[in-house]
Formats: sequence, structure tokens, C-alpha cells
Amino acid sequence: MPIDGLFSSTIDILSKNIDLRAKQHNLVSSNIANAETPNYVPKALVFEDELQGAIKGNPTTTGSTTNPRHIPLKGGGGTIHSVQGQVIESPAKTPGKDGNAVELEGEMSRMVENQILYNASVQILTKKFEGLRTAIKGQQ
Amino acid sequence: MDFFSAMNVSASALSAERTRMNLISSNLANANATRTPEGGPYKRKDAVFAATPVEGRFARALDGAANREIRQVEVQQVVEDQSPPRIQYDPSHPDANPQGYVAMPNVNVIEEMADMIGASRTYEANVTAVQTAKSMALKALEISK
Repeated sequence: MPIDGLFSSTIDILSKNIDLRAKQHNLVSSNIANAETPNYVPKALVFEDELQGAIKGNPTTTGSTTNPRHIPLKGGGGTIHSVQGQVIESPAKTPGKDGNAVELEGEMSRMVENQILYNASVQILTKKFEGLRTAIKGQQ
Repeated sequence: MDFFSAMNVSASALSAERTRMNLISSNLANANATRTPEGGPYKRKDAVFAATPVEGRFARALDGAANREIRQVEVQQVVEDQSPPRIQYDPSHPDANPQGYVAMPNVNVIEEMADMIGASRTYEANVTAVQTAKSMALKALEISK
């Protein structure tokens, strides 16, 4: 399909990545906001492996099959869309006396890393659309 | 994707830290106040923080697991430190007891200063989180340029 070739799964992958990084930012904000709350355990979103699996077409999470004769869903944009990531607890190695396990330095660096990767995805997506626009308009 | 919940969460933390800073100022200002309306010396005050789910949005029910895990922070109550007052010998003080001892507030100025630096740093971290959310949201608008 020419349309498939034109848009491919790049746009799907990039938009999913942007979406998940936005969610990751929400969690990091929540951790920073609760940096002084007693007994708070920080959380993080892990999705890299799941997304990579979905791109390669051998997803780590397939559509649930309740019958052996069901055909598992795999490959294509469908599985990329279904990547949700997993929320895990990421406590610091040395929790404070009040049971708070947030490590502010770690959270700040995770936030910056997340922002850079988010910006990178946005930039690549912008370039992708620019390329498409050039292809539509032709050489000028 | 919603950066506004990230901003709301950070805003809740900014307001909680401001409350904490107000209490620290109150403690420092009253470090030598021996009289209060309730009687007796001033007692040190502290804020109790609690992580609460972000509420008030219909979409919350439809959100994915990642967004259900985000928590804002609120000052649940302000507690008075019940530790005993600092006893100081000063017979000339009008509030001195017959033995010449005065009950001073249980405020340790050095502890309050250290606490103040902590509150200020946490406030700054949250301001950075808001700035990051804002720049990420604006970056997304660049896709259509």
C-alpha cells in the first residue's frame, strides 16, 4: 500500500513515545511535589522494552487470548497504540527517617532526560512532516 | 496527554511549601515570645504533608494506569510541637517564676533555618518542574509549524 509506505509506522511510534513521555513527566512532577511527604514512595513509568517489542512486531504484551484458537494480535500500528507502559515504584536506596523515599537529584535528572527525549521525538516528527510536505509539493 | 495535571500537581506542592515557609517564619519571629493568647510561651508549629489523588476531573476515570498514580500534596493539618519549653534563668524577666526561671518557646533557631533552606530548595525544584511542563507543551505546538 503506497499510503502505508508514505506514513509508515514512524509517526505512530513517535506519537506514542511523545504520549508516554508526557505521562512520565506527570509522574516525575508528582514525585517532586511529594519530596517532603512522609511515607511517600516515588513511581516511574517503564515502557521502553514494551515499545521496542511492539515496533519489532513481537510484542511483550499481546492481545489477550482466552481460547487456544484465538489469533493473537501482533505487529503493525495496533500494538504500538496498545503500549501503555508499567508504573513501577522507584524508591531511593536510603529512605529518610520519615519513610519518604524520594531522591530529589534523581528525579530532577530523570525529568531533564525525559524532556530531552521528548523534544527529540517532537523534532523528528516535525522533520517527518516537513519531508512529506516537500514530497507533496515537489521540487521547488 | 495532559501537562495541566502535571502543572496542577506542582502548583499544589508550591502552595504547600509556601504554607511551610509561613510556619517557619512564624516560628522564627516568635522564637522569644513568652506570652500567647492561650497562655504560656509560644509553641513551635509544623505542617503535616499528605499525598492525595488528583480529583475533580471527569476524565480521571478514563485515564490510564500511569495517570491514576499521580498524587498532589496538601497540608493536612498544622500541629504544635508538644516538646517542653526551653527553661532559661532570668530573674529580671516579668514572666519568671519565683525561682527566677523563664519558660521560653521550644523553637530551635538553627533547626528552623535548616528547615527553611529545605523548603526553599523543594520550592525551586517544583518551579523547575512547572517550567519543564510548560516548555514540553509548547514544544508539542511546534509539530504543526
